[in-house]
Amino acid sequence: MTSREKVRRSLAHQSGPVAVDFGSTGLTGMHVSCVAALRAHYGLPIHPVKVCEPYQMLGEIEDDLARILGSDCVPANGRGTMFGFPNEGWHEWRAPWGQVVLVPAGFDPREEPSGDVYLYPEGDKTVPASGHMPAGGYFFDAIVRQEPIDEDRLRPADNCEEFTLLGPADVAHWRREIDRCRGETRAVVSGIGGTGFGDIALVPAAFLKHPKGIRDVSEWYVSLIERPDYVREIFEFQCDIAVRNLATFAEIAGDTVDVLMICGTDFGTQNSQFCSPATFDRLYAPYYRRINDWIHRHTRWKTFKHSCGAVRPLIDRFIDVGFDILNPVQCSATGMEPAALKADFGGRVVFWGGGVDTQRTLPFGTPAEVRAEVTDRLRIFSPGGGFVFNTIHNIQARTPVANIVAMIEAIADFNRAGA
Amino acid sequence: MPLPPQLAELTAAVAAGKRVDTVRLTQELLAAGQSPTTIVEQGLVPGMAIVGEQFKRNEIFVPEMLIAARAMKEALKLLEPLLAAAGIKPKYTVVIGTVQGDLHDIGKNLISMMWRGAGFAVVDLGTNVSPERYVAAAREHNAHIVGLSALLTTTMPAMKDTVRQLKEAGLASTKIMVGGAPITQAFADSIGADGYAADAGTAVELANKLVGAAA
Repeated sequence: MTSREKVRRSLAHQSGPVAVDFGSTGLTGMHVSCVAALRAHYGLPIHPVKVCEPYQMLGEIEDDLARILGSDCVPANGRGTMFGFPNEGWHEWRAPWGQVVLVPAGFDPREEPSGDVYLYPEGDKTVPASGHMPAGGYFFDAIVRQEPIDEDRLRPADNCEEFTLLGPADVAHWRREIDRCRGETRAVVSGIGGTGFGDIALVPAAFLKHPKGIRDVSEWYVSLIERPDYVREIFEFQCDIAVRNLATFAEIAGDTVDVLMICGTDFGTQNSQFCSPATFDRLYAPYYRRINDWIHRHTRWKTFKHSCGAVRPLIDRFIDVGFDILNPVQCSATGMEPAALKADFGGRVVFWGGGVDTQRTLPFGTPAEVRAEVTDRLRIFSPGGGFVFNTIHNIQARTPVANIVAMIEAIADFNRAGA
Repeated sequence: MPLPPQLAELTAAVAAGKRVDTVRLTQELLAAGQSPTTIVEQGLVPGMAIVGEQFKRNEIFVPEMLIAARAMKEALKLLEPLLAAAGIKPKYTVVIGTVQGDLHDIGKNLISMMWRGAGFAVVDLGTNVSPERYVAAAREHNAHIVGLSALLTTTMPAMKDTVRQLKEAGLASTKIMVGGAPITQAFADSIGADGYAADAGTAVELANKLVGAAA
């Protein structure tokens, strides 16, 4: 059975060996320092690891490492980055923690004597920085660049600058990328951007030189209640563009792609939700439904929804609006006990994640504790398919390599025992 | 003297995040001769207590809490100069910040707002705060509580280091509270914090308990 067949069986809720993903999306990967540590641990050739996602400083998991990790998925990546520069023109950069990594040409940071590092939209240092890695940090956060808000002059179009049709350069990129993935024996996971609604990581628009409209995080949350028509108009515009881009992409990608990452909007906090079910129904559901319906009518792709946190009260809604896959399945959040999730939703949605707690066990536990938790999660989530193993969100910097290795071995042992 | 009905209306307006009504009622109460202290203690604080309770019970969510806090803030803009002029200061002071290396502030801001709404003086140091800045601010403001927030597993060691430095600074009457998504009671205990709160509503209850214990 190929990796792709494993993933497809699981996505179809059929029993089989557990499918695994490391690195097919910006939400299921590893910090670049962990990738380098794993390469060293497994005796793979040592070279600077590519930072394939500069915002979270995720490292590229090359095929040699992916094989050892048992990853059954491969990404078909978009051209751009969170900072608006393309992922091309690689050069070396020494990160603050001492590791030499490869970063794209537009990654031209300002490094302060304090150890703080700043990045610029499109790599343009003539405009204010849009990303900040504090001294001692391991990745960037967006710098909020909010112009004063004048209620009478707020125009939804100002929040729509980032939603554009795929241009010739994008189309050419996607043709190359999809060609690269043709004949893949692994499941191909992709995402075209612009299909996620109100993702708070994207609201500050680190990729825009002069973001307008509502770009402050708190102001955005307030807008869900105080300016619903404004938000709705943004989503309406965005959705129209997204559907047209999906049509373009579907012509290029066809059945080469198995899974499309749709949306990274976090609806959960550690203990609660970021909005009420009623707000979800009013503001988000119509647009998610339109995107998912279009994909299911025109393609065989499965749609992937990411939301951290305690989202149990919303899972039925995610399913109802047409999402096939839920990630990262944050079992450490309130109401997200794995066995109950599997029992209540396992037949209707694929859990892509939930494999081990990255807030506690993986970074701070012992290898034995990691192994025990991973094995427990595999026993709970794998019966009947509907599960792709991944850690709960990206593996963070400072995670002991011995713990990652314990996780990988536990998965391999589980699959061997079940074979 | 019986309390005027506008105080109950003010409580309801704050809890519902009705900014215009909150400001109008505050102005009406002041015009009617009600003392700023009473307006805060009998009008605003109970309103924010309702918000905290509703948040804990998942009846309201982050946006509603932010909107209520904004309404309260508008009322405080009218009241604080009057309180200052009368020499009335909040009884308790808290210093709050997100620990070094961590730029996340939604949780920290929510708790900061709730503490203000509970009548505490809040000194917000922002994000990426070094242990030395916490210690200096705690000393400068005679803080009853120092609140540390962390969202990241990678900055939990900074929280531990900050707690250690605060303890070593010998601020005997200062209690240390911690919180943030990856933080647990067990972690709080292991680093020697005096308290852990899982959400903004609980943070108010715990702060009240801790300052009571410290008084």
